[in-house]
Amino acid sequence: MDTQQEPRKTFVVPIGPQHPALKEPGHFEITVDGEIVTAATVRLGYVHRGIEKGVEQQNWTQAMYMLERICGICSHVHATAYALGVEALAGVQAPPRAQAIRVLVAELERVHSHLLWLGVAAHEGGFDTLFMYSWRDREMIMDVLEGLTGNRVNYSCNVLGGVKFDVDDTHADAIRRAIDFLEPRTHHYLKVVTTDETLIGRTRNVGTMTSLEAETLGTVGPTARASGVPRDIRVDAPYAAYPDFPVKTITATAGDLEAKFVVRIQELFESYRVIREILDKLPAGDLAVRMKPRIPPGETVSRVEAPRGELFYFLKSAGGLNPDRVKVRTPSLCNWGSVLATAPGHKLADVPMLIAGIDPCFSCNDRLVTVRRRSTAETWTWAKLRQYGIEYYR
Amino acid sequence: MNIELPPLVALLFFPGGLFLLSAGTVYEWADRKLVARFQNRIGPRWFQPVADVVKLLAKEEIVPDGVNPVLFHGLPVVALVGTLTAALYVPMAGMAPSYSFTGDLIVTLYLLSLMTLSMGLAGANTLDRFSLIGATRALTQLFSYEAPFLMALLGPAIAAGSWQISHVDAYAQGHWWMVLTQPVGFLVALVGLMGKLELPPFDSPEAETEIVAGPMTEYSGRGWALFRIGRDVELLVGLTLMAAFYLGGLANPIEFVLKTGGLLLVTAALQSLFCRLRIDQTVGMWWRIGILLALAQLFLLAFMR
Amino acid sequence: MRIGAMLGDISRSLFKRPVTERYPFERKATPERLRGQLTFDPAKCTGCKICVRDCPAHGIEIMVVDKVAKRFVMRFHTDRCTYCAQCVVSCKFDALGMSHEQWELAALSKEAFFVSFGREEDIQALLTQVTCTPGVAPVGPVAPATT
Repeated sequence: MDTQQEPRKTFVVPIGPQHPALKEPGHFEITVDGEIVTAATVRLGYVHRGIEKGVEQQNWTQAMYMLERICGICSHVHATAYALGVEALAGVQAPPRAQAIRVLVAELERVHSHLLWLGVAAHEGGFDTLFMYSWRDREMIMDVLEGLTGNRVNYSCNVLGGVKFDVDDTHADAIRRAIDFLEPRTHHYLKVVTTDETLIGRTRNVGTMTSLEAETLGTVGPTARASGVPRDIRVDAPYAAYPDFPVKTITATAGDLEAKFVVRIQELFESYRVIREILDKLPAGDLAVRMKPRIPPGETVSRVEAPRGELFYFLKSAGGLNPDRVKVRTPSLCNWGSVLATAPGHKLADVPMLIAGIDPCFSCNDRLVTVRRRSTAETWTWAKLRQYGIEYYR
Repeated sequence: MNIELPPLVALLFFPGGLFLLSAGTVYEWADRKLVARFQNRIGPRWFQPVADVVKLLAKEEIVPDGVNPVLFHGLPVVALVGTLTAALYVPMAGMAPSYSFTGDLIVTLYLLSLMTLSMGLAGANTLDRFSLIGATRALTQLFSYEAPFLMALLGPAIAAGSWQISHVDAYAQGHWWMVLTQPVGFLVALVGLMGKLELPPFDSPEAETEIVAGPMTEYSGRGWALFRIGRDVELLVGLTLMAAFYLGGLANPIEFVLKTGGLLLVTAALQSLFCRLRIDQTVGMWWRIGILLALAQLFLLAFMR
Repeated sequence: MRIGAMLGDISRSLFKRPVTERYPFERKATPERLRGQLTFDPAKCTGCKICVRDCPAHGIEIMVVDKVAKRFVMRFHTDRCTYCAQCVVSCKFDALGMSHEQWELAALSKEAFFVSFGREEDIQALLTQVTCTPGVAPVGPVAPATT
């Protein structure tokens, strides 16, 4: 350890890249004074897979499946954002039934993602019972998704121009049954997280972020909404079938960890309502329209609301079989700042919960960022990028 | 029940040595199984703790750089020996204690604390940052629960008028269950036992999501296996002591199994019921509430006599 | 504010059967739409190879032995496949499908990840051809008679 070699005042606790608190690799250096955190830094990019570059070598159809694999939990929204963008470029509109099914799967995914988060956050705080129960109940949604789409994760529900499958009565009944089971359970979890003395001791007034801070740090999704920033793409810029099935923005004012629990759990109720509404009023019609393999040249921006916040896609076509450029900005990336800003002053024991509080997705942070100080433009060759990668991971 | 056993048999086979090791793993299994059932899971099969220990014993023990090797190898042994010795003074398996003398209650309690102390020292011995934080937390926690736990166990001793475990046991058998007459002491002692064993919610010294395995982070193989067995035996001894003091004494093996099993059920429920406490919350709880309750109980008892 | 808000859950669970699935010992029926191993019907195939073009994982190879006599061999890499069913959607002639019964595709050897569909003699003919080509994996076991 460094303290042996040179007398250093700071005691740095490394969390990651491999650490039991992190299910994916990321590196945090937590400087502590006793148990109190004085500074925190993050280093990301351990899962750089080069997906943005990779899709440039794939055709428009193949690219969707690679982009779907950016995130394992919110895979569907990635495919939806991409499909909506490509359809906009091609000037094609997916049929209303397809859009409704996209939203249905997206909301089911949100339910599974939020229940997963509830369990993970409880586990980080050492509340394994809540973890086990929320994941047990999440299994209902996983089964529903498996029955509906054929896969438990990476549902591959989209095709360019629509969706792959229909929702028939048996599936609608299965979904309704699952929702009917989950709704009282979710009420119970809301009660647990707002009343359980030990859990409140770990969440109330921990990681408090005012709405101004949340705005300044550029947070998105439930992290921002827990601080009272009403930021939700489903409401601000409705896409797919959200204009027909509007959702309500759930916000809280406290901005602490408890508010993040409450916001996410209350979003579940909103999702249940939307899912029921879609099942009752599913528009009739085709499932997909045909798309040509070549997409006309152009640029577009596609934004959707992932369970973790705003997901941003920039797509550029040169008129060929392959995308010319795909730029993805995932919600987790926007929220890291809030962890680092709120961590100092808290106990070391709070740090895993603070990290979990933004529902981080590490593989979503796969990117290379350089900050250009001067206005001189610079072109990086493959060889230089490669060398940079080798140096970075050394 | 009182059977005279040759000292060597008592030390090596029953009720010491081999019996303790196997019974300890059985109790660990029962604990894990109960917690699993409380969480609606299936839990491990009966041989899992034994398999864990066998696997660990067979594995390579890595001695990290910068540690004192004597301490590194010695501390697990001290911890295990401490708990094994403590077991000789309690009415294990409903038998009369193998060894008994005036004041053995205090000796037993300190032998049990040897475990936590060894773990703290083992953590402080290595240079790992997780171990150092874990060691600090383990020792901080030791100082917070130790006094209330001791005072809570003194309650029955004062009622029995003796600081000898066998006398308290005999007194408990002849009177009302002291869980009814001294409920506050029982509660403090039970929670104290959980703190001693670093069971959730008092597992912040080894909170895996924060500091990996706490003081044990650098241990692998034999040392870790010995600490694990030591903790299993400590669980057994702690439950025996609690049952003997508060649940009407242990007259025979059947009572022993039923009473310690009942206590295990309660501790397993408490383990699964709470969120992990931060170390400052643990210390605050013990010094603000635990010690006051234990003191009040003690004063009341002293006043009544 | 209360202590132990999950007391109801844990006390009920003590008297309930655990929900853990004992998977290899007890198997649940798989849903109809589950995407398992790819199936191939050479009688419907036209050899257009849109599936090969659209497969994001390069998991399908179609070899045309005789287009008129509908003699096609499909080679499927179970290890490369991402089970997205794009090929099934892309196929205009319903020649491809996904089995919901064959989904336990883990194996201990690489050969098992390589499944060929088509007529026996065509596969054998291709097998001898392919094994001579360096750098190409040999043809694996023939899938049971789903075709």
